[in-house]
Amino acid sequence: MLDGMDKKRLDDQGKPGNAASGPENAKSYVLTINRTKWAIMLTATLAVAGLLSPWASSSPDGLERVAEDHGFLDTAGAVHQWAPIPDYEVGGLPGNALKVGAAGVIGVLVMLAALWAVSRDYNRNSGSGGDTDVVN
Amino acid sequence: MHIPDGFLDAKVWMTTTIIGAGAAAYSLRRTKLAMEPKKVPMIALMGAFVFAAQMINFPIAGATSGHFLGGALTSILFGPWIGSIIMAAVLCVQALVFQDGGITVLGANVLCTGFIGCFVGYGVYRTGMLLLRGRGRALITFFAAWLSIVAASAGVALLLAWSGTFELGLALKAMLGWHSLIGIGEGVITTLVTGYLLERKVSVAKGVAGHA
Repeated sequence: MLDGMDKKRLDDQGKPGNAASGPENAKSYVLTINRTKWAIMLTATLAVAGLLSPWASSSPDGLERVAEDHGFLDTAGAVHQWAPIPDYEVGGLPGNALKVGAAGVIGVLVMLAALWAVSRDYNRNSGSGGDTDVVN
Repeated sequence: MHIPDGFLDAKVWMTTTIIGAGAAAYSLRRTKLAMEPKKVPMIALMGAFVFAAQMINFPIAGATSGHFLGGALTSILFGPWIGSIIMAAVLCVQALVFQDGGITVLGANVLCTGFIGCFVGYGVYRTGMLLLRGRGRALITFFAAWLSIVAASAGVALLLAWSGTFELGLALKAMLGWHSLIGIGEGVITTLVTGYLLERKVSVAKGVAGHA
């Protein structure tokens, strides 16, 4: 009969562990493949960005507070004046909640698209084989 | 805690831009080796989550707020290389689309909140799990996330001092003071999300285990 401790002693390859790979460590935990959990993460992400974000504190954050207290906040500028959605407010929408919420949802979609593209691209390149560019 | 343009002088932002770009390029190469197809949607979703969570400034003390950063979270979930790429992507989108964090200081932000946050958070988590043999995982995670914020803010303080913006001791004291409070929020969120998304690995080779 296999008890919990024996299961935990199996290493990454599923072979019986030796003393070095024996005790539980960071590698004993893996990302869940439970689709419901990931669907809940997506829902939570959209809810946080779209619904919760307008109610975030507008007080200065840690760095802004330090800059204000030590008199260099006014040195802040923006080199990039053409940001489409400056300060997380979509122009032309009525009300703060809608402006910020829309910015949040747009940001989430941009993040999803950007990282999906980057990681899929890397995945495809590395999967094609013949890559001798191994980094240790 | 994103540095805006203007806080760092030319020598500092130029140096950090070069180092930041180099570090990101190296990280992409490491990421290439660690990438698995099934992780693509998970990575994209966690990047979106980090972005969303960073929008939520929570009040701390003295009319000051803080927000989640995510370096510890992403590196505990995916390892520090993919974690730092996720953080770099979030910082790029924030700077380019939302004017949050400067362009000249993007490299500095990638180094501090990305690399320092990811590697400190991951290092503490790995070491803690090894030393305590997996006991108290929630506490280890909390501490790793807390320290990742404090270390990232120390990095920003160093860059500010190097720029001559203000004196190092004062910069460290001011930045670490506020960010040791903000780190509590980072610890709570990181512990909750990793507790939800990580599970104990189940053996796939039960037959071999008989003599273990």
